[in-house]
Amino acid sequence: MTTNSNKPVLEIRGIAKRFDTTQALDDVSLDIFSGEIHALLGENGAGKSTLIKIMTGVHQPDRGEIVLDGRPIRIGNAVEAQAHGIAAIYQEPMIFPDLTVAENIFISHRDQGAILGWSKMYHDAAAILSKLDVHLDVRQPARGLTLAAQQAVEIAKAISLKVRVLIMDEPTASLSAHEVTQLFKLAATLREQGVAILFISHRMEEVFEIADRVTVLRDGKKISSAPRAEVTPESAIRDMVGRKVEEFFAKSQAQRGDRLLSTRGLGKAGVFSDISFDVYRGEVLGFAGLVGSRRTDVGLALFGVEPADAGEITFDGKPVKLHSADRALQIGIAYATEDRRALGLAMPMSIAANISLPMLREYLSRLGLIKRAAEESAAERFRERLAIRAPSVRVEVARLSGGNQQKVMLSKWLNARPQLLVLDEPTRGIDVSAKAEVHHMINDLAAQGLGIILISSDLPELLAMSDRILVMREGRQMGIFTREEATQEKVLTAAMGQNRGTGEMQ
Amino acid sequence: MMDAIKRYLRPEQIRELSLVFLIIVTLIFFGTQIEGYYSGRTFNRITTTVAIIAVVAVGETLVILTRNYDLSVGSIVGFTAYFVGTQLANNNGISPLAAVLMAIGLGAVMGLINGVLVAYGRVPSIIVTLGTLAIYRALLVNYSGAKTVTTDSLPQWLLDLARVNLFSVGAFDIRPMVALALLIVVIFQLVITYLPFGRRLYAIGSNPEAARVAGFPTQRIVMTAYVLCGSLSGLAGFMFLARFGNITVVAAQGMELSAIAAVVVGGVNVFGGSGTMIGALLGALMINTLEQSLIRWLQISEFWRDALLGLLILVAVATDAVIINRLRNLWARSGLQARPATETPGVQAQEEAGHDA
Repeated sequence: MTTNSNKPVLEIRGIAKRFDTTQALDDVSLDIFSGEIHALLGENGAGKSTLIKIMTGVHQPDRGEIVLDGRPIRIGNAVEAQAHGIAAIYQEPMIFPDLTVAENIFISHRDQGAILGWSKMYHDAAAILSKLDVHLDVRQPARGLTLAAQQAVEIAKAISLKVRVLIMDEPTASLSAHEVTQLFKLAATLREQGVAILFISHRMEEVFEIADRVTVLRDGKKISSAPRAEVTPESAIRDMVGRKVEEFFAKSQAQRGDRLLSTRGLGKAGVFSDISFDVYRGEVLGFAGLVGSRRTDVGLALFGVEPADAGEITFDGKPVKLHSADRALQIGIAYATEDRRALGLAMPMSIAANISLPMLREYLSRLGLIKRAAEESAAERFRERLAIRAPSVRVEVARLSGGNQQKVMLSKWLNARPQLLVLDEPTRGIDVSAKAEVHHMINDLAAQGLGIILISSDLPELLAMSDRILVMREGRQMGIFTREEATQEKVLTAAMGQNRGTGEMQ
Repeated sequence: MMDAIKRYLRPEQIRELSLVFLIIVTLIFFGTQIEGYYSGRTFNRITTTVAIIAVVAVGETLVILTRNYDLSVGSIVGFTAYFVGTQLANNNGISPLAAVLMAIGLGAVMGLINGVLVAYGRVPSIIVTLGTLAIYRALLVNYSGAKTVTTDSLPQWLLDLARVNLFSVGAFDIRPMVALALLIVVIFQLVITYLPFGRRLYAIGSNPEAARVAGFPTQRIVMTAYVLCGSLSGLAGFMFLARFGNITVVAAQGMELSAIAAVVVGGVNVFGGSGTMIGALLGALMINTLEQSLIRWLQISEFWRDALLGLLILVAVATDAVIINRLRNLWARSGLQARPATETPGVQAQEEAGHDA
């Protein structure tokens, strides 16, 4: 697949970068060829983002050099990176909603002259987009464009800046399956035009669909770099994790108790339909599905935030209506969200204040004042129980690491003493050891007789943690597999439905 | 038909057109209520007031586009009016150009202080300019020693700016000051439409985070917006002096409210990123027409003026929240999003039609 194997357009040579006590990058070298899609894999904290930030001029390396066309270059800031033809697009596109598509494409141009020519700009923007086979009205304000369209605009912007190396940092994380296909078409077009693409994704199947070369980073070091044909998902995961995958997912069998929750024909117009399942006490029910499968929406419906409009829910043998989070908490359902920053935690507030928030009523004195001592002692219990690493429960949540924030969030919902806990991507964005702790905790909770719904995009995690796995695809329930039946292959096949051809594992 | 409207009018422009419509309705209504309403006198009273507010509103718009505020404009207008007034009173021989430059320069320095603190000091703009609002006013009180600049001490050419007739449209006279204000509005409308600086003002207000990543000097641009706002306020101070002649320490107190009201009523988004100078001018016109007319019609007290302004701001923001957002969604949804080529031949055709036009 390598179309230009003689000379790399960009060479990264022996880059090292240290932040305080962590060696983020340690002697990393990487060759990037034009007309090649180079996938970069690694756990969180492996050093991928640091590498990108060095390539785009946000950070300066402590050692090593970056060589463009055989000449060492210095990238002091984003503007210099652009000038060298290095651009990046991110999961959340950096778009200006009030400006038109064309303005967004040309916003970073320095050589637009003293006076802006609107008609020329519209014309040039339309030309770039049509070269990419993207159909967008360039006069349309960017507000309201789909994420995929926004990314297309970002790519067009990069092209207008004569991009030679395009970094795509988890561009598919928020896209639907259909949009991913579009994005990949775009990437293929760019590859044909000789652009070098550095593609970062956590989704193995995407990497193996699109990449020509796969490089794995772990703990700031380059572990392997090989043409795709020589790599398998298993070998890549092994390189990323450094140990055998199974070690991380030790599932202890909990005693399955009474039926706790059951839904029949649960649906919400235009979102999901006909979802029927049971959760038993002491059971972990996994929810598998690709992005756009609407798993989270089912979770939100159970928590009453976005109530379902069809079907029945029975909880502990009694039919219930879940129309608000308050009601859900009352009957014993809690939902820990995947988006810690936006939905889960009040970042500037202390650990204690976050944990007591949903149950604040219990911490009020007779005069309606908050009993801080009670609040803090409750928080203190969770700090010990979940090993939250913080000097005190009065520390602001914003100052904790991702894994510890995750634990605070879990504490917050556990403090509500739920019987059913919905965990939405509880291990996304936290490091390997924190992950193991979360898994351990899920086991513990199940052993204590809680019912747990585990929504996760990490398939090995789901397979290891769940007693049964419900697979969803685009708002539909594709089936429920028992632990014995479920394999990566079967679950993915169900999750991808007839689209199986596009996203299969190698 | 609907498509044609969507193509050539943005929701913001529809908003401005409806404001023009509202102004006309207001004029017609008061024409039936007040005797001799359509007179040269009414026209002059409204236009000379609007001229001053509009110049300040242009500056305020520059700042608000970047998702910041300038609350100190009233104090800057007052200070420059008083300062230039005393200089001219002491020495009637100062040339008009020197006097104007003095006012603009003084305003620029005050704007620079705001701008540096906001852009480089990273202090929230509300706090910075609330502080300088008080400080600039206090400077004026100190500097003046509670004395007043009086009309008869000022040179005749200055007073003529607000009194003589530059040219007439029918029965309506255009004062030099009004022409100047219109010129300012037009110049800055062109600046924000056609200069990279203007584009970047919109970009910063639209998505500050992305602006930083896009690699242009956001701090310098925000500071420039404040310097321009200060300069324009200085110029407005000069116009204020010309119009009123008698300047006390409370000159132009509360003008920040009128300016922000004009900007907001004129459709400039309080969260930055959208709005035009034409809109700000229309906002100023709307507010002053209503104000002047109500005062004459009901003989309401000047004390109600602020309440009226406050009410207008709230109504404008509320209608924006309800109507403009809906319009925007409607526009955004009108089939102009990215789709694979095969699915939307219609969009393609539409685009080609657009190029011919």
